[in-house]
Amino acid sequence: MPKDRSQMKRTLVAALAVAAAAVTTVAAEKPAQAQEIQLTGPLAGAPPVRRLRQYREGRADITVGWAPTLLDEYKRTHFLAGRLQYNVFEWLGVGVFGGFGVLSLNTDLTDKIETNAPRNSRTAVNLPRTGGPKFEDQVGKLTWMAAPQLTFSPFRGKLAVFQKLFVDTDLYLHGGAAFVGVEERGECGPGGTVCTDPKSFARASRVAVAPTFGLGLSLYLSNFISANIEYRAFPFSYNRGGFDSRGSGPGADFPNPEGRIDAEDRTFKFNQMVFIGVGFHLPTTPKLSD
Amino acid sequence: MALSRMSAKANWKGFSMKQARCGLLMAAAMMLLATPAFAQGGRKPAGGKPAPTPPPATAPAAGAGAGAGGDIELDEPAKPAGETPPAGGDTGAAAGATGAGGGICEIDPSACPKQGDISTLSKRDVRAEVYAVQQIYALRRGRFELNPYWAFSLNDQFVTHPGPGLSVNYYLTNVLAIGLNGTYYQPFNGDSDFNFQNRRATRLAVPLNEYQLAGFLNFTYVPMYGKFSGFNQFIFHYDGFLTGGVGTVRSRPIAVIDPDNRKFDWNTNVAFDLGFGLRIFLNRWFAATAELRGFVYPEKIESTTVASTAVEQRDPTKWAPNSELTVGIQAQLGISVFLPFSWEYRLPK
Repeated sequence: MPKDRSQMKRTLVAALAVAAAAVTTVAAEKPAQAQEIQLTGPLAGAPPVRRLRQYREGRADITVGWAPTLLDEYKRTHFLAGRLQYNVFEWLGVGVFGGFGVLSLNTDLTDKIETNAPRNSRTAVNLPRTGGPKFEDQVGKLTWMAAPQLTFSPFRGKLAVFQKLFVDTDLYLHGGAAFVGVEERGECGPGGTVCTDPKSFARASRVAVAPTFGLGLSLYLSNFISANIEYRAFPFSYNRGGFDSRGSGPGADFPNPEGRIDAEDRTFKFNQMVFIGVGFHLPTTPKLSD
Repeated sequence: MALSRMSAKANWKGFSMKQARCGLLMAAAMMLLATPAFAQGGRKPAGGKPAPTPPPATAPAAGAGAGAGGDIELDEPAKPAGETPPAGGDTGAAAGATGAGGGICEIDPSACPKQGDISTLSKRDVRAEVYAVQQIYALRRGRFELNPYWAFSLNDQFVTHPGPGLSVNYYLTNVLAIGLNGTYYQPFNGDSDFNFQNRRATRLAVPLNEYQLAGFLNFTYVPMYGKFSGFNQFIFHYDGFLTGGVGTVRSRPIAVIDPDNRKFDWNTNVAFDLGFGLRIFLNRWFAATAELRGFVYPEKIESTTVASTAVEQRDPTKWAPNSELTVGIQAQLGISVFLPFSWEYRLPK
C-alpha cells in the first residue's frame, strides 16, 4: 500500500507539474497579432469582411489587351489577346484565354545570324544559302493561342497608394490547357525533300498542346471596369531555330545531328508571356455580401 | 482478510485518482482563463475591474478617457470638461442622465432619445468615415530589415545568373529606407545548352558574360500598402515598394570565340539599379518578398574576330576592346525580418 500511495503521489505531482507547465506556457505574455481579436462578443465567428463588393460572383467579364512573350531566342511574338470568363463563385471562374500573334519581331540574335553566320557545307542543313530564303523565315513562331482555363481567386483586398488612391484588388491563379498555333521549319531529310534545298527551309504549321498556368492581379477601377496584369507560362517543345540538332549518335546531352529535321529536333522551351488588359464586367453593378 | 486489504487498496487508489482528476481539472480551468493580449491591453473589460482613477476636474475632455494610466479609448465619446464620474465603478449613460441632483433628461428632455427616435435613427444610412486601411499593420520607422533572397535573371536567354543575396535596410521614416544589398553569382552562372546548339548549327558564337557579384547602395520608398482577405477567412497585409541606387557589378566575358588564348579577369563596373517589389507580412516582423530589379552598367564584350598572328591573338587588349551598355533584369524571392521585432503604436490623442 505505501508503494501504491507513493506511486499515486508521484502521478499526482507529475500531472500537476505538466498542468502547471501548460498553464505557464499558455498564460505567458506574448505580443498579440493584429488579427488576434478577442472573439468572445458579437464578432465571434463573423467574417473578416462585411458588405464586400463581390466583383466576380455571378458576373461575366471580357478582358482585352496586349500580351508579349518573354525570353525568346529568335522571335518575340506580340499577341492581341483577350479573356472571356464567367465567375461561378467569388473565388472560382471558368473561361477561355486566347489571342492572335499580330506582331512577330526578330531578336538581335536572329539578325546577327542572318548577316554574320557563314554559309558553307557545315551550315548547309541549318541555314539557307546566300540569296535564298531568309533565316528569319525558318525560325519558329507562335501564331495563335486558345486556353480553356479555371481561375481561382483566393485573395481579395484593397490597395492604398500614397494614402490617397484606394483600389479594390484581387489576386488570382489560373490553370488550364493551351492550344497553341506553332509555325516551325517543316520536316525534311531522308525520304523527303533534301534539307539543303531552299524549299526545305519553309515553315509548316501545327497545333501544340501544353499546360498553362500563372497568376494575375485585378485592380477594380470602377464597379464594372478593371485593369489586369497577368503572368502566364505554357511550356512545350518546338524547333525554335529550325536546326537539325538531334536525332543520331551517342551522348544524352548533345545528341548529334543526322541531316534530317523532324520532331526529334524540337527542344523544350518554358514559354512565358505577360498579359496587360482592361476588363469589362457584366452586370455592371456587383452584389454586396452580407 | 486478503479481500478487505484489496478493497482498502482499491479505495485508496480511487481516492488518489479522484485527487489527480481534481488537480487536472483545476489545471484545465486555469488554462481556460482568458490570457491578456498586449494589443488589447489598453482596454479594460467593462465589468472586470474597477474604473481607473477619475481625472482631475480640470483635465481636458480628450484626456478624460486616457486617465492616469495613459489608456486611450478612441471609441469613447469625449466627456465635457469638468464632468467627474462618481467613484467606485463603471457609470452608464442612464446613471449619468438620472443621477442625483437632476440628470440631463430632466434639465433638457429633448437631449434624451425616446424609444421612437431610436427606431427611426436605426433606419438611417450609416455614413461612417472609415479609412481604407485603418492602422498600418507593421510599422517600419526606426527598424532594420534583413532580406535574404534568391535572385534569378530574367532577360538573358544565353547565360542564367541566379544567386543568393542579402539586403539590409534601415527605415528612416515609415516609408523611406536606406540600405545595402548584394548578390553573389559566381558559382551559379549557367551557360545553357542552347548556346552550344546554336553555335554548332550556325557556326556563329554569341558573346557571353558572367557575373561575380553585385552590390548597391539603395533608397527604398514604400508608396503603397494594403490588405488581402484570404478565402474570406483571414486577412494579411502587404506593401509595395520602389528601390533604386548606385553600386557596382563585377562581371567578365566568357571566352567562346577563342577560348584557347583568351582568359578574362573580373571587371568592376559602376552600375545603377531600379526595382519594385511586394512584401507580404506573415506577422509584424516576418514577411515574404518578391522583387523585380533592373540594373544598367557598361559590359565588356568579347571580340568576335580573332587576330591572324599568334602574338596578336595573345594580346589582351584585342580580346574585348568594346563595351556595351547592358541591362540586367532579375527577380528576387526572399523573406524579410524586421528588427526589433515589436514596437509601440503612438495613438492620436
